Amino acid sequence: MIPALLPLFVAVPLIGAGLLIVLPGPRWLRRVLLLAPSAAGMLGGGGLIWLTRDGVVFAHNVGLWQDGIAIPFVADVFSALMLWTTCLLALVCSMFAVATGDDRQSFFSPLVLVLTAGVSGALLTGDLFNMFVFIEVMLLPSYGLLAMLGALGRLKAGRIYVTVNLLTSTIFLAGVALVYAVAGTVHLGELAGAAEESPLVAAGMGVVILALAIKAAVVPVHGWLTRTYPATSPAITALFSGLHTKVAIYAIYRLYAVVFDGDSRFLWIGVVAFTLTMIIGVMGAVGENTTRSILVFHMISQIGYILLGVALFTELGLMAGIFYLIHHMIVKASLFLSTGAIEHTHGTGALDRLGGIARRQPLIGLVFMGAALSLAGLPPFSGFVAKLSLVLATVEEQQWTVMAVMIAVSLITLMSMLKIWGGVFWGKEPPSPEEGVPMITGANGGSVQTATRSKIRTTLLLPGLVLTATTLCLGLGAEFLLDLSAQAAANLLDTSTYVEAVLGR
Amino acid sequence: MVLLLLLIVLAVTVASTPLLDRFLGRNAGWPIATVFLALTVLVALQAPQVLGAGTPVEYTRPWMPSLGVDLHLRMDGLGWLFTMLVTGIGTLIMAYSTRYFPPGRRLGFYCLMSVFAFAMTGLVLADDVVLLFVFWELTTIASFYLIGLSGLTADRPAIRTFLLTAMGGLTLLGAVTLLVIRTGTTQLSVILADPSWTQDPAFVSVVALLVMVAVFTKSAQFPFHYWLPDAMAASTPVSAYLHAAAMVKAGIYLAMRFTPAFAEVFLWNAMLITAGLVTALMGAFFALQQNDLKRLAAFSTVSQLGLLIAVIGVGTPEALVAASVHTVAHALFKSALFMAVGLVDHQTGTRDIRRLGGLRHRMPVTATIATLSALSMAGIPPLLGFISKENLFEAFLHAPGPGWFGPLAGVVAVGASVFTFAYSFRFVYRTFFGASRSEEGTEEATAGEARIGFWTPAIIAAFGGVLLGLTVPVLDPLVNTVATDATHAMVDTHLVLWHGFNAALFMSMAAVGLGSLLAWRSRAGDAMAGRDLVPFTGVGIFEALYGGIIRVGRRVGDLTRFDSPAYHLGVPMIVIIGLASVIAVVGLELPPVAGQTALGLDWLLVGLMAVAVGSAVVTRSRMAGLALVGVAGFTTALWLFFLGAFDVALTQLLVEILTVVVAVLVLRRLPRRFHSVKRRRTVLTAAVAVSAGLCAGVAAFALTGRRELSPAADYFLDNAPEDTGGTNVVNTILVDYRALDTLGELTVLGVAGLIIIAVLRSSDLLPTHGSRQIIVGATNAAYDPADNTVLMRTVGRFLMPLLVLWSLYLLFRGHNEPGGGFIAGLVGGAGFALVYLAAPSDRDARIRLTYPVIIGAGVLVAAFSGVLGFVDGSFLKPLHADIPLAWGGHFHFTTAFVFDIGVYLAVVGVLLTALNELGLERGSDTSGSREDPPTPQEGEIPVGDTNDASPMDDSTTGGKR
Amino acid sequence: MTLAITIAIMVAGGVYLMLQRGMVRIVLGLILVGHAVNLLIMSAGGVFRRDLPLLQFGTALTAADPLPQAFVLTAIVIAFSIAIYMLTLAASGSDDDTEGNS
Repeated sequence: MIPALLPLFVAVPLIGAGLLIVLPGPRWLRRVLLLAPSAAGMLGGGGLIWLTRDGVVFAHNVGLWQDGIAIPFVADVFSALMLWTTCLLALVCSMFAVATGDDRQSFFSPLVLVLTAGVSGALLTGDLFNMFVFIEVMLLPSYGLLAMLGALGRLKAGRIYVTVNLLTSTIFLAGVALVYAVAGTVHLGELAGAAEESPLVAAGMGVVILALAIKAAVVPVHGWLTRTYPATSPAITALFSGLHTKVAIYAIYRLYAVVFDGDSRFLWIGVVAFTLTMIIGVMGAVGENTTRSILVFHMISQIGYILLGVALFTELGLMAGIFYLIHHMIVKASLFLSTGAIEHTHGTGALDRLGGIARRQPLIGLVFMGAALSLAGLPPFSGFVAKLSLVLATVEEQQWTVMAVMIAVSLITLMSMLKIWGGVFWGKEPPSPEEGVPMITGANGGSVQTATRSKIRTTLLLPGLVLTATTLCLGLGAEFLLDLSAQAAANLLDTSTYVEAVLGR
Repeated sequence: MVLLLLLIVLAVTVASTPLLDRFLGRNAGWPIATVFLALTVLVALQAPQVLGAGTPVEYTRPWMPSLGVDLHLRMDGLGWLFTMLVTGIGTLIMAYSTRYFPPGRRLGFYCLMSVFAFAMTGLVLADDVVLLFVFWELTTIASFYLIGLSGLTADRPAIRTFLLTAMGGLTLLGAVTLLVIRTGTTQLSVILADPSWTQDPAFVSVVALLVMVAVFTKSAQFPFHYWLPDAMAASTPVSAYLHAAAMVKAGIYLAMRFTPAFAEVFLWNAMLITAGLVTALMGAFFALQQNDLKRLAAFSTVSQLGLLIAVIGVGTPEALVAASVHTVAHALFKSALFMAVGLVDHQTGTRDIRRLGGLRHRMPVTATIATLSALSMAGIPPLLGFISKENLFEAFLHAPGPGWFGPLAGVVAVGASVFTFAYSFRFVYRTFFGASRSEEGTEEATAGEARIGFWTPAIIAAFGGVLLGLTVPVLDPLVNTVATDATHAMVDTHLVLWHGFNAALFMSMAAVGLGSLLAWRSRAGDAMAGRDLVPFTGVGIFEALYGGIIRVGRRVGDLTRFDSPAYHLGVPMIVIIGLASVIAVVGLELPPVAGQTALGLDWLLVGLMAVAVGSAVVTRSRMAGLALVGVAGFTTALWLFFLGAFDVALTQLLVEILTVVVAVLVLRRLPRRFHSVKRRRTVLTAAVAVSAGLCAGVAAFALTGRRELSPAADYFLDNAPEDTGGTNVVNTILVDYRALDTLGELTVLGVAGLIIIAVLRSSDLLPTHGSRQIIVGATNAAYDPADNTVLMRTVGRFLMPLLVLWSLYLLFRGHNEPGGGFIAGLVGGAGFALVYLAAPSDRDARIRLTYPVIIGAGVLVAAFSGVLGFVDGSFLKPLHADIPLAWGGHFHFTTAFVFDIGVYLAVVGVLLTALNELGLERGSDTSGSREDPPTPQEGEIPVGDTNDASPMDDSTTGGKR
Repeated sequence: MTLAITIAIMVAGGVYLMLQRGMVRIVLGLILVGHAVNLLIMSAGGVFRRDLPLLQFGTALTAADPLPQAFVLTAIVIAFSIAIYMLTLAASGSDDDTEGNS
């Protein structure tokens, strides 16, 4: 019974979106319709985590067609964790969007819901082509959300974003075609281990993985991300940062585990690419001068960390990577939301036009700094546990260079976080607002001058606070998530349960 | 349990500071001091067990078992000593703070100081390397905020301190992870007792080096010493605590803790002694140069820490005894000294030696405190500082290494002590003796002694040094246990004030004698004060590095700082070409081709495609480009038809037409010609393009068509009618087997409609190009758009209902014959397109339907038909029913058909959206008599060229110029 | 073989257009590449069987692989959705230039 309900993760937000389009209805009702599916998803995801925590894999053939013919929806603890976090972020970012007034934009709410539906589908599906479809379901709303909110540069950004993603999807599709051409199936259960046995399948899957790597913004194909994410509204950046690249990362983990069976011959490529990703990302971050562009470059760097887990492909490495992934989704969104609250209130995210905010409003300082320290991997936040376990995993594999890079990179991470801190939260308050300074971001993309003396509203603070509190809890009570990550890693190391569940045999 | 209690009480204290602060303001220090005092007593009560019996107090509970990390707490002699310092000195500082600050709330200060005490206590009690690291970093974070509390001027120092100490933290993390993986445990006492890793010279050296950097940064050793004086921006109680008992002592603790493992490692000995002595000498020298009392004290800390580090580097039990005595001595005299500085500063309003003098008359108590602590610092008997310094000298003489090393170390240590004496003298003499140098009537000149509550904590610390000096044997059990814990060798020393005449005594005498001489010759340091002896400062170097990293970062960011999609599209292409080339070089073993893949007629399509694509590439006209790509799309449709995909070919055809229609609506707003680019770029892009084409072609040739029909295909062909009741296998896959794909697909399509509206409405992104309006002469036949489209409108009026009917027919029969929701929707949409194109102006053409609602309805219908499937056990499971028809027979009804209706609605809705939104003129001047140009006609050329099957191909080419 | 050559031509042309300046050309390039990939999917099914998979009219024994056809149908519609959106973006702003100062 429970496996049959998995498609609801897709259906519920989709129906919510449909209702929001069709029905006029008062604002409060529209807000309820926006928030309820995510809240329900969190409940469902939580339940799913509870049910799969022992390594059980749920699989369901959508439409009850024969095994191998139907599209399977599969959930193990890894996908359950991702689902829960996805819904959490969707909920929190939507709350933030309601607070900033983003949700008054036409179709904002249905688009966010469709986005959530797409992410859920991509996380749950056990079929390559269906994964392509759901990635598109996730991307289409994003194209719109990116270009309809935000600053003047959003048109350029929108063009880069849509073209790069379309190309990537096309490459992905080409990869799927090649896999079907050589293996005769796109069903993950039937493809299990195929890439390890057959170099032909490996070549096809290589194309698929490459496409996912572009979507995940791995160096050297990361440039599109840093040019596009800062252009939209903070709520959307936060949502994208938590979901989009992370779906690609999830897919890389899953596909490499299932189809390649963790083939050790190709791991070195990952180690090299992801190490470079860490370095390039963090160096780019430290050179930027607005809060969001710094944070966006950090995403790249952290993506390197997360993917390193799969490139090590050891029990510890996978566990660390999965822990890092969940931690990162939460923390990054928190950072985008707290700096977004500042951007929204003060009209700019430029470091040299802000200052002294923590001295006036210590709470926002705490929210930001908690997440920033977590990002830099300092205790007692979840980032510390994530970094520690990943460093342990690299040491275990005797990857000395990588270990040294990781440690150096986390110092520069801290440096750039302190750069934001020094520029925005401490330091001189900027002189009286200049006339006619265009806003980087506003509720409606209008032009509003800076008003540095204004206070940040609680409704804007709350979403970031929730997420920072979560990272603190995940740091102090790390064992909870570590345990689940370890189970998720075990499922990836030994995919037999997964394959049996999907194929029903 | 006691240990856990300690930490819990401290944590509760931290948590209660907001409340205390709210009700007590600055007096919140009293309850906190009381708590600290109680904890001091609690720790002292452990002395019989820890020091007397030599059995550590331990506590364990699991924390992160997945990583093997537990909450191991352990208080041995070393831990006891440092816990006492943290809580004891903490009590004094907290009490002192209540009077140091002006009345008012001090939440940040008290909260962070409590955090600091908590972190330090945890650090010295942690028996788990990871836990140790956690507390280590906590002290770093707490100190960052404590320094930053002091306002604007403290920002940079706080950040510098944080980064530098965090760097040390990271090397510690490196050491921790190496040890954990090597020894398989995180328990510190087990690791230190494990001899296996210390036998591996390379490994132990690396770990020693990493730990050393951590120690050096935390304890402000050369070349990382500069953060400490820099951090003087913090308020005086903060400095007193950080310098005497907390932050910097963490490094000392760590060095002592790791001595059992590293005492035999020469790298460790040599580096610690060298760096320590250099720091000691340099710090003492700089201290003498200062005019600011607080900076003097700060450099004094640097110097004293240097001595401590150096003596720990010696590593012998005697050395560790000396280190522990000096730690105690330093904690007492340095906290007293700082508190004295605070008293002076508070009462006179200045810390500048040049404006002070003769204060002993007006501030006798403060003078006593300062004098006692300075004497202890200078190593004058009978104070504790004298005994510790004697021990230090003695230990240095027995330093490991070549024979000359020990005496040399001793000489340098004496040198440092010479300066120590001189600056101690300078501190006391210039502040409290001699004539007052302050101007009449200023605050400095009239200041009196502080109240008793203010100076009591300071004088306790100062007298502590005297008392312990006189009764020094009471420290015996402590220092012996500490040295035992720190060296894992039994130590039995007896501390005495009077050693008899030995080398250390002579060294002490030399230090005092030369120090007096120096003080005299330099006029109590005035001769040297304020001069820059080196052209660079630590802060300067740090800032240069910092700026350098940021500049490099900027360059790294510049690598991708392009707004051109071409760049962002080009890089992935190059990467994929690279991947393909690698595969090509490695080579794959290919199975044989499974059947005939090329038919004669195919070559016609290849030729057609080559012509279309080739011309599309070279043309400079937008319209032509669009038309030629349309031809390519048409050829693709033909290809699909050739390959036996009738439905797909039909869809492709319709999609191609609609794309072109939409594109035409767009193109009329744009310049006629493409932008030009440089020749070099053309060559480069051509190279990339040809390689990409080659890759794609080779991949298609090598990887496809080399296997028999897939099992899935066999299954579909064999079972589709039986499973689903439909004979159009492709359609059954779409609406039955893989309905989930189709649900996603129609959502995608629907969302495309929504985002077109959303993006266009979010702002005026869609302008009109007034300058590009086509000017048509009044004599031209095309002048009146209304006349001009008569034919089209006539045709359209008849065709449109027909098309809609046809589309409904296609929708119904889709399950068995070519058709289905998509094709039907596209045909229906084409009908609307026709109406649109035929209208004389955009405004007349707008089809007034709420098309987003149609889209939403489509999504809803499809999703609900999916949910209906739960009746039969699964989402999107089609339900079947045979409905008897009035005229006999049955209509086979399935919910897959409902699903198809959803598809149909979504498709129609999106097409309406695209046509209306893109056709809508915005911001144009509509009040004029002149209508908008007859733009739709421009679109007819490509439409006509593209596709013979288009219903519009009979129209004329009107307004093109 | 013929199909592979067609794909090669389309990809080369598409990539060339995609790397040019101006949104319209980029869109046209991406459309071409999209078509090429659709043909690749068809090719993946094996093109040695080319009869219609309409069982009312033909037999299952010689029918072409229907699964890639379903894939392509889905892919065509998705590509179309994105194409019209991209065209909207091209029409937005003062120009479709992607490299000027606009």
